[in-house]
Amino acid sequence: MDVRNNRRDLTGTSVITANRLLDGRIVWLTGTGWSETVSHARIIDNADVEATIKQIRATPDARRVIGIYGVQLDPTAAGVTPLTVRERIRAFGPSVHPEFAPVETSDVH
Amino acid sequence: MSTNTATLPVGRYAYDQIDRTFLSQRVAQFREQVNRRIAGHLTEDEFKPLRLMNGLYLQLHAYMLRVAIPYGMLGADQMRALAHIARTYDRDYGHFTTRQNMQFNWIRLEDTPDILERLADVDMHAIQTSGNCIRNVTCDEFAGAAADELLDPRIHAEILRQWSTLHPEFAFLPRKFKIAISGSPQDRVAARFHDIGLVARPGPQGRPVFDVFVGGGLGRTPIIGVLLRDNLPEEDLVAYLEAIVRVYNAYGRRDNMYKARIKILVQALGVETFREKVDAEFALMNRADYRLEPDIVAGIRARFGIPALDAPADAADTLAAGRKADPAFDRWVRTNTHPHRHPGFTSVVISIKPDGGIPGDVTADQMDVIADLADGWSFGEIRVTHMQNVVLGHVRKDRLHELWRRLVAAGLGTPNIGLVGDIIACPGLDYCSLANARSIPIAQKLSARFASPELQERIGRLHINISGCINACGHHHAGHIGILGVDKRGEEFFQLTLGGSAGNDVAIGQIIGPALPEDETVDAIARLIDAYLVLRTEGEQFIDTYRRLGAASFKDAVYASA
Repeated sequence: MDVRNNRRDLTGTSVITANRLLDGRIVWLTGTGWSETVSHARIIDNADVEATIKQIRATPDARRVIGIYGVQLDPTAAGVTPLTVRERIRAFGPSVHPEFAPVETSDVH
Repeated sequence: MSTNTATLPVGRYAYDQIDRTFLSQRVAQFREQVNRRIAGHLTEDEFKPLRLMNGLYLQLHAYMLRVAIPYGMLGADQMRALAHIARTYDRDYGHFTTRQNMQFNWIRLEDTPDILERLADVDMHAIQTSGNCIRNVTCDEFAGAAADELLDPRIHAEILRQWSTLHPEFAFLPRKFKIAISGSPQDRVAARFHDIGLVARPGPQGRPVFDVFVGGGLGRTPIIGVLLRDNLPEEDLVAYLEAIVRVYNAYGRRDNMYKARIKILVQALGVETFREKVDAEFALMNRADYRLEPDIVAGIRARFGIPALDAPADAADTLAAGRKADPAFDRWVRTNTHPHRHPGFTSVVISIKPDGGIPGDVTADQMDVIADLADGWSFGEIRVTHMQNVVLGHVRKDRLHELWRRLVAAGLGTPNIGLVGDIIACPGLDYCSLANARSIPIAQKLSARFASPELQERIGRLHINISGCINACGHHHAGHIGILGVDKRGEEFFQLTLGGSAGNDVAIGQIIGPALPEDETVDAIARLIDAYLVLRTEGEQFIDTYRRLGAASFKDAVYASA
């Protein structure tokens, strides 16, 4: 895995992300499944991220996604906002096409 | 095989039933692989090399499909198929790359076999647009049309395409392998920045000979290719290239992907030793098996449609009158056309760099417009350039004014070719999973800042290249001004290089100082260009002034407010 995808502080919080197998879209781990909306993501202490990923990978559901990793959150931002530019672009869409931003829905699957 | 010249597509190689059967079988094979992946019978590790062999990457937001455009040539029918794919399977956009290919950024894995089938319907595919194999061979965007051309490079580009496609020895090279070919004394293909760069010209008895450059490239370790062999006879072209790639395949490093390109091998062995090994391999080969006899070359050439160039005697006069009457048209002709070998024709470069736009991005509707204009004005033939623009190769001079009006109406009439607005930029962090920083917003801001056509012409020839990471897809080392995105603790910074060039005056740009924060980069480049306008002498272009003065004067301007 790209070293950037594991770059987290010892403290702080993260969310867990992946790409969906069928269409490649970015998804975020919620309490009950995966959502395309980062604001639905379950917030996890950094100390628990690796164990949570291990748990997720052990489930049959993990076959439906690719490349599961944790994304550090910005503690100063309003709402669920990744810390790095890269992950903010993944969460909110390409900066050059605002119309391609993920549509906020309540779907979790 | 015999060919019906009346139905040959102009400018590109005409497929026959064998080619089409091959593509159809390949699509069926990939469809089965996708089904097995979705059903869970293949893991991602098992599937990844299979999808990459079909040009399918997993990028930042979705799958990305890279479609091959062999040596940048395609027909109006093929462009309409690409428009259909953009509209049906993507978000209405396609993106022209510096490898003369087209990429789609929002592809679904599930749809990919259908997309490949649609491509195969128009003799297109995505084979070898990824992976550690010989990639799409690139060539001069004015091939077969340029006034200065000595030899049409497309015929040999096609021969190399056929040689390299699914070559059993070269499907798993140490790293990807890129070949470019030019038939003009003006290097318009960056021949010395390729794994192999070929420069062709007529030799004895009119048969082509080739200068062979090897071991050039950009990326993490930018190196200018060295002349390995001059005057290589046409009959030995395939054998000699096979010898080069065999030596690379045998000795290229596989333990470290950052040191795996042929440029590292050539540097490690030294040019003389590398040449000795190639010559030894060449001497051992049964050259008769590889010999390109004149009838073989003629057979390939015969499957390229040739435009019937016929223009009224006063075509040039009509154009001159139009230019005199319309200053905006005159400016566009000055910047966006290229001399044609026929006096009644010209080659037109359609800028895919609108002011403030995304370099290389076209909408599905614009693709259809380009296809219609190609049908109406250039024998249905289209070329994609390594500068991320589009060329209509053969436009009658007396019909140029009407073409320009149509282009302007479609938002494709920007008069900036070769100027500061003609920026090369990779997709960067907005799309690419490898990138460290965004390229496109910097390109957009610079393009908007220098939108004035008058100002652009006053600044003169200036190539700005932007890459979002060290892999250098935006060829920043080759830019007069190069911009490299770097990551510092998750934030974007940009490092400037100056003095690069991909032409006959080939040079690698030099870093001038510390990387700049994103919000300071465009202002710094604007100050740099202002400094050039003050420092230049009569008739100088940016690269001339830089070479005369060196980096110091520009460095002061860049870091003035730091």
